[in-house]
Amino acid sequence: MEANQSHNLDEKILRVIAELSLVRLADIKPTDRLREDLGMDSVASMELLSALAEEFDLEVEMEEAMAITTVDGVMEMAKKRLLAA
Amino acid sequence: MITQATIFAGTNTDEPDVLRSLTQNIDRFGRERIDAKAIDREHRIPRELLREAAVLGLFGLSIPEEHGGAGFSLSGVCTAIAALARWDRSLATTVGLHLGLGTRPLVAFGSAALRERYLPDLAAGSKIAAFATTEPAAGSDLSAIRTTATATATATEMATETATATATNELAEANALIVRGDKIYVTNGGLASVVTITASTPSLGGARRGHSLLLLEREDKGVDVGPEESKLGLRGSSTVPLYFDDVRVPMSRVIGEPGKGMSHLEHVLAWGRTAMAAGCTGAARTALMSAVEYVTARVQFGKRLAELDVVKAQVAKMAALCFSMEALVSAVGLVADDPDRLLRRSISAKVFASESDWTVVDMALQLHGGSGFIEETPMPMLLRDARITRIFEGANDVLLVHAGTIEIAQPDTRPDFVEDASPRGALAQQANAFHRRVREKLEALKAAHGLRLLRRHLDIHALGRLVVLRDACDAAVARAIAEGSDSAHSLAQFFLDGAQVEAKMHLEPCPPLEGVRTIAGSVYAEVVG
Ligand SMILES: Cc1cc2nc3c(=O)[nH]c(=O)nc-3n(C[C@H](O)[C@H](O)[C@H](O)COP(=O)(O)OP(=O)(O)OC[C@H]3O[C@@H](n4cnc5c(N)ncnc54)[C@H](O)[C@@H]3O)c2cc1C
Repeated sequence: MEANQSHNLDEKILRVIAELSLVRLADIKPTDRLREDLGMDSVASMELLSALAEEFDLEVEMEEAMAITTVDGVMEMAKKRLLAA
Repeated sequence: MITQATIFAGTNTDEPDVLRSLTQNIDRFGRERIDAKAIDREHRIPRELLREAAVLGLFGLSIPEEHGGAGFSLSGVCTAIAALARWDRSLATTVGLHLGLGTRPLVAFGSAALRERYLPDLAAGSKIAAFATTEPAAGSDLSAIRTTATATATATEMATETATATATNELAEANALIVRGDKIYVTNGGLASVVTITASTPSLGGARRGHSLLLLEREDKGVDVGPEESKLGLRGSSTVPLYFDDVRVPMSRVIGEPGKGMSHLEHVLAWGRTAMAAGCTGAARTALMSAVEYVTARVQFGKRLAELDVVKAQVAKMAALCFSMEALVSAVGLVADDPDRLLRRSISAKVFASESDWTVVDMALQLHGGSGFIEETPMPMLLRDARITRIFEGANDVLLVHAGTIEIAQPDTRPDFVEDASPRGALAQQANAFHRRVREKLEALKAAHGLRLLRRHLDIHALGRLVVLRDACDAAVARAIAEGSDSAHSLAQFFLDGAQVEAKMHLEPCPPLEGVRTIAGSVYAEVVG
């Protein structure tokens, strides 16, 4: 994946996270934990991952999604899937 | 005259004896003092009656003893609200809102200073509390709240400090938030001296775009109370809009952590919806008793209606629903200290109790024949009062989707009931089997749709229905086992039988949900364009 492509993807993912976590885009850091830092309970973080799966047309197993706890984790999962596609 | 001292006896408020005496005293108050028809007709609860309820200690039931209340747990509060709702739903709503949404934020999250300042008057009932979250553009979707509380520069700095250190009261008073916005449908709004509001406070930081809970006083400059709404039911309860026009609120009146309003709200709403569900159980009992009275006295075809099999079966269904909804509301009280289970169970109890209340009241009205339609009987008022319970404290369909989503994210795990050889063991076996079926359904949905399942709201809604039914069955079975009587066993079994039939519709929807989705899509395109 090209560097600027990857950057665009990060940006897109962060935008979805901002929308669903109700945290301002500028305040979200890759190291943020979905629950503790962004205030997303397990339901909200599942909904986030599901929104990403929809947006990027990704096939993600429920169990794999449930193991993701950070913004970084979300981005990695999305990139891995997109590269594999 | 009933006094506060006699409303409950003893010190452990959850002792069965204490709860029994509480119920008896509320019953006496209801019989002697409450005229539900007059309240409904005049669209108001007489001030004198509210004062008597205050003298009785009703407004302080959930408030800690150190602040002048009785320190009842959620279970005790539910017992009281259920007892009160047997006599009048408007009064039960007024008191229930005060004990639940109205004062719970302060009790659970308020600073020591706030609690000391406000709780004694609220416990005594000399002040009444309200809770305002809903707005014209934010009903089911609370993330759309537009009321803002903007911090002055120093207040913003303080918000960061308060998370780590306790700021002095003087400093807190000197720093203020400016509140601007409108709230609607505020129960108790016309009576209340204090109201907890949810406001967007982005400048205070915190997760989820920073909402905070704030305490406003009726007397704060810029608070305006709108006119009473004219309602289908609960006509004696106060429901008004509130307007906030640059209301200056000291930082010290932020309830709980600044910016953490949405997480606090989750706990507060769980309490509120459980207290409301308790009201449903009381009203449904009244409807059942009224129907029993009617069918026992009324003679047609040379027989009392109560002797007809069709009528008997209907009364049995109503009784089984009352039994199960009471059991489920009690079951919420047992998990009040466990946030996750409180959330899940309170949703099930709210949905199940409000729907069962409606069903029971509707069946009771039917059994009254034409007289059930006439305002002289209690039935029309009971029906009108019951209708809102499926909407407020979270519309049921919204809660069903929430229940289904929670189940997907964290499947419920509870130990199986013991399946011994007794008749109770047979009930246990059915409840355990139901659990397994719900779990299998969930696994099948996950396997079929993966993460996309969370976008399939029809499936999630159906799963939510199964969760609610499962929790109601569990509660009914647990109650039957605990009570051990034949009648409890029969009521639980009767309920389980009906629940299995209903569950089948959601386990194997017919037509399949895919078909429903397609049809609904084309109807939508045609109607909405
Ligand atoms: C008498 C009364 C007293 C009240 N007291 C208070 C109070 O004290 N404090 C307070 O803050 N609020 C109070 N409310 C407000 C009440 O909580 C809201 O009316 C309720 O939450 C529903 O919001 P809404 O009316 O905006 O309905 P909407 O959000 O407009 O929803 C309308 C309907 O659409 C459907 N729907 C909406 N979203 C979904 C979804 N995601 N999935 C499926 N279906 C959906 C449901 O059928 C719902 O009933 C009160 C309301 C009344 C009428």
